[in-house]
Amino acid sequence: MAKRISLKEETLLEKEPETTGEKRAAEILKVIMSYARLDFSAKTAIGNNADVFDAIAAGVNMLGEELKNSSISLKEKEHLLQEIHHRVKNNMQIIFSLLNLQSENETDKKFLVLIRECQNRIKAIALIHEMLYATHGFKYTNFFEYVEKLTKNLVYSCAIPGMKVDFNLEIDKEVCFEVDRIIPLGLIINEIVTNSLKYAFSKSNKGLISIKLDHKPGKFYQLTISDNGIGLPEEFTIKNKSSLGMQLIYLLAEQIGSSVNLDSTNGISYRLKFD
Amino acid sequence: MEIPVETKVIETTAFQTWMGNDGIARTKVKPQSEITVKEAKENSDAVNSLHSETNFPLLVDARNIKSMTKDARDHFSMNNRASYVNAFAILIDSPLSKIIGNFFMGLNKPRVPARLFTEEEEALLWLRGYL
Repeated sequence: MAKRISLKEETLLEKEPETTGEKRAAEILKVIMSYARLDFSAKTAIGNNADVFDAIAAGVNMLGEELKNSSISLKEKEHLLQEIHHRVKNNMQIIFSLLNLQSENETDKKFLVLIRECQNRIKAIALIHEMLYATHGFKYTNFFEYVEKLTKNLVYSCAIPGMKVDFNLEIDKEVCFEVDRIIPLGLIINEIVTNSLKYAFSKSNKGLISIKLDHKPGKFYQLTISDNGIGLPEEFTIKNKSSLGMQLIYLLAEQIGSSVNLDSTNGISYRLKFD
Repeated sequence: MEIPVETKVIETTAFQTWMGNDGIARTKVKPQSEITVKEAKENSDAVNSLHSETNFPLLVDARNIKSMTKDARDHFSMNNRASYVNAFAILIDSPLSKIIGNFFMGLNKPRVPARLFTEEEEALLWLRGYL
């Protein structure tokens, strides 16, 4: 048989209530304690005196009703947000499939590569929405999990058959970013890793792509994406950002308030600093 | 709030409702009434049945009220429902009626002008502005 908890224990009072006033105050406290446990269905009895105790009891009951109503609205909004992310992801999947259909009878290799690159950019964004609707709160995406999934997709999509590439992810598994931050970051990683997979390695060498995120509390984030491949061609200069991929990297970096530090002395390394 | 002699009073579960000779409708909460949406709807039907040609102000005597649920408060705010009432004044006096009145005004935002009063005469004076 369950132990009966006294009003004193339940309402954290110093002593068991004795007078009528104390008992009524304890009953009201009991309801407030229920609200503190997010149980807004609790109500306290209102007497027939229309006195201060009845007024407080009525006020507490009405507050409970309002809180219950607000928590329901909040749940409805969360559901709506989840639905939106789901639909955005599905719509992106439709665009992805349309591009597939468009390229079905196409033989021009250059065209097919462009289509695939577009598809990868779409996938990089769709993945964020897919992860968002599966998370609580629908606001933050775990950066490590995202980069892990993104890079797996890219290897599947871009790597030359027979080529061996390893990834080294040095990212704090607790770091999460909001959508307006993770979309540009995702697209930047998408472009850089695509370039590495396409141009950095030969079939005979085992490639390594590293993605590292440094962050000290109160300081900048520093994202470094590097590979141990052949580096940039001699004719390449930073000003000569002729490809859409390179333009995107610089534009998206600007969007998150970062410059791009490019180093090609040993393979290639991109470093971005942002808040 | 006295009910004038020989006045047709509409009796519902929790209210007595009638039209005053001055063109201001009255509705009085019966002692110890616990108002749910059922009682609220009965009341608004009774109040609307007083309509003849023009919209009218309403004096609500809530001094005897015991409780009012959220659904009832939402209904009385007149949002999303038709009503012939163009303004209403609520009479309160006890701590209990004051709490309920202030909750209603603060959280339910009535669609038409509404005010709380502790004096009947002051309430009537204000309502006359809506005749």
